[in-house]
Amino acid sequence: MSYEMLIEPLGESIEVQEGQTILDAALRSGIYIPHACGHGLCGTCKVEVVDGEFDHGPASPFALMDFERDAGKALACCATLMDDVEIEADVEEDEDAEIIPVRDFYTRVSKIEDLTPTIKAFHLRLDTGIHFQAGQYVQVHLPGMETSRAFSIANSPQQIEATGELELNVRLLPGGEATTYMHEQLKEGDEIRISGPYGRFFVRKSAPETMLFMAGGSGLSSPRSMIEDLLSEGSTTPMTLIYGQRSKEELYYHDEFLRIAQEHAHFTYVPALSEPADADDWHGATGFVHEVAKQHFNDDFSGHKAYLCGPPVMIEACISTLMQGRLYERDIYTEKFLSAADASEQRSPLFKRV
Amino acid sequence: MDKAVKKKKLGLKQRYTTMTRDLAWETSYQDMDKVFPYDKYEGIKIHDWDKWEDPFRLTMDAYWKYQGEKDKKLYAVIDAFAQNNGQLGISDARYVNALKLFIQGVSPLEYYAHRGFAHAGRHFTGAGVRVASQMQSIDELRHYQTQAHTISHYNRHFNGMHDNIKWFDRMWYLAVPKSFFEDAFSGGPFEFLTAVSFSFEYVLTNLLFVPFMSGAAHNGDMATVTFGFSAQSDESRHMTLGIECIKFMLEQDPDNVPIVQRWIDKWFWRGYRLLTLVAMMQDYMLPKRVMSWKEAWEMYAESNGGALFKDLARYGIRPPKGWEDACEGKDHISHQAWGTFYQYSHAAAFHTWIPKADEMQWLSEKYPQSFDRHYRSRLEYWDDLAKQDDRWFNQHLPMLCQTCQIPMVFTEPGDPTKISLRETKYEGQKYHFCSDHCKEIFQHEPRKYVQAWLPVHQIYQGSCYPEDINPESPGDSPVREVLRYYGVVGGQDNGEFETSQDRHNFDGWLGKAHKPEQQTEQEANK
Repeated sequence: MSYEMLIEPLGESIEVQEGQTILDAALRSGIYIPHACGHGLCGTCKVEVVDGEFDHGPASPFALMDFERDAGKALACCATLMDDVEIEADVEEDEDAEIIPVRDFYTRVSKIEDLTPTIKAFHLRLDTGIHFQAGQYVQVHLPGMETSRAFSIANSPQQIEATGELELNVRLLPGGEATTYMHEQLKEGDEIRISGPYGRFFVRKSAPETMLFMAGGSGLSSPRSMIEDLLSEGSTTPMTLIYGQRSKEELYYHDEFLRIAQEHAHFTYVPALSEPADADDWHGATGFVHEVAKQHFNDDFSGHKAYLCGPPVMIEACISTLMQGRLYERDIYTEKFLSAADASEQRSPLFKRV
Repeated sequence: MDKAVKKKKLGLKQRYTTMTRDLAWETSYQDMDKVFPYDKYEGIKIHDWDKWEDPFRLTMDAYWKYQGEKDKKLYAVIDAFAQNNGQLGISDARYVNALKLFIQGVSPLEYYAHRGFAHAGRHFTGAGVRVASQMQSIDELRHYQTQAHTISHYNRHFNGMHDNIKWFDRMWYLAVPKSFFEDAFSGGPFEFLTAVSFSFEYVLTNLLFVPFMSGAAHNGDMATVTFGFSAQSDESRHMTLGIECIKFMLEQDPDNVPIVQRWIDKWFWRGYRLLTLVAMMQDYMLPKRVMSWKEAWEMYAESNGGALFKDLARYGIRPPKGWEDACEGKDHISHQAWGTFYQYSHAAAFHTWIPKADEMQWLSEKYPQSFDRHYRSRLEYWDDLAKQDDRWFNQHLPMLCQTCQIPMVFTEPGDPTKISLRETKYEGQKYHFCSDHCKEIFQHEPRKYVQAWLPVHQIYQGSCYPEDINPESPGDSPVREVLRYYGVVGGQDNGEFETSQDRHNFDGWLGKAHKPEQQTEQEANK
């Protein structure tokens, strides 16, 4: 059983499970509501429930006074829903965020390509056009599996509109049920259902700052979609992609980015290999993405907007490098999600999003 | 006809900005630097005050309404507690000594915090942090008042609570919290926020608050618990102020990083030393125990603090220098402190005692590495002496650390059999310290710490006697006269609990003693 919660002033609707707190549901959807203690004592996460029935849970009578309860206030970390509700919360409005309702799409696999020994590209022919912001992801519903899996859209809105095909790049994870199925059983002509778009990882196009994309592992999809989108729109803001893999054979779409860099003077492409093989004959940068970035920018990232996508270890290393090079949270975007548990237990309240 | 256009409702953030920063202005008759002269000399460089993010959105108008309701609620509980003689419901009269320690050593800090934040609230150039500091200043004053009102009920029934402000200024062990806070608010506004809002309120507050408040709950003191809930709803606002201040300094200029690092090193250690009093209270003074100091340290410092310092590493900040020594000390400091207060209880303003057999057992279980090996036999020896009517009180004054002002009772990291002593020379004088970290704090600002008012030195210099006393005249008891100067009645406000008036009275109220009198009363009622 689940309810729908409309969060103002964002105008975004999210799903809230029975017994799930408002805070947990919001954080899991990538919407940051300020919070601190996580168990109803401090009152930091106070929201106003404008419409709908809910339960206050164990909110302390000192953190949420009677007159506030009468006025429809609730503590997001304790309150659970009994109805579809509308809340007003202290969330940052993002002028670049579009409100796009999530929909189901029925697709047919039109092509499967090997990009590297472990990553395949799946081209899905859509039944109808999809509107999304480059960088967002879809949920893939595979036959026989109860839960869906999230994959970032790897091509741009313009490319999808032109070809009618949405591309996903999927790495085979050892023991991963869904990725194993996709790599070993899914074949051209199969039908699969996807839903989306989801996520708050997209380019802040209203920002004048130069852009820095950092990608590694199978995290190239969103940056690729973002860059193609920006160039198609004729953006002239300078942008740099630092893209790392272990060795040359894993550096998928390398030739494509070399070509784009040749065609667009304001796009700088910096590929990096952490362990180039002798046979790679590699003359480019060597090292991890964060190391190569530090060198490339001479340890000064101020004045950028940075978009990071890749495995958690890479993201963490990149964030530290950016911050020590004077670029901070307000200018760093990642696809990482924070759950209430993450926020209150393993993490300090120092950072909201990164 | 014109229809009134419905104004778009302001978001919380805009509403807050309108009621705070928008009320500030750039001064033109006087240079801004002259109006705000104190936020630059510490070396912290700020380029853009607008980058300060208000960590919460409480405006002054809402503040009054909200806090007024909270106080009404609290005072209703305190009244009910008084009318129902709530003091009779506590676990054991020994518990009241934890409250004495609180009203003597913690509540005056709330008042100091009120003063410190009032000062910071005047002297930051940025309007956002000024408003936050002013609000906290009022919070702290409320906390002091509500604590005084909550505990004043106990003052009617128990000794050792009647003159806490005077004691705070005079007594040797209260110089520890007093010097901590005076050190903080005699720094600049940025150091003050790092010391109090960040190191104390954020990193260490749970170690102060949770033991006292859950200790109160476990021991039947609902008045103090309610005060605790009331204060706790302010605490997270205080913590977020500390967090925002640290982030702001670190992001504004790379030159700020080493300054902030040094402050974190210093104030973590000073806070940790101050919490020794809490550690002792938690392990020895609560008749019904909540958790051991060691457990609290592991939960609140090691795991939460660990997460914080992992995040701060992104800015190039490392964990405080004293971190490992503090973690090592978790097996020892509560026992070392209680041993000290037990010996000097005749010069304090609360009672001490030897733990009962089941309490010793609890300590053994909670401290398998240290209690039986290093601390139990000393307590048992003192217990034997007391049973032979020879209760041990140490008549010699201890040497104090020049920085934290705690007697030299701590042991070497890694060797709990050896007292840790450090010394250094400054302008021809020798100064003594309890640890490398206190010594380092001194060495960075020696001209500040040579001025420390060390209670033991002051006694020896003759500054702690009533005016009618010549301490050199034969027949005078120096200890008795110092107590007179402190305003403490020897043997009544302090000393051994077992033979105290507090215990005698409490047992009487519960009908545990004076049975003949009660029987007489009952007979009279027949």
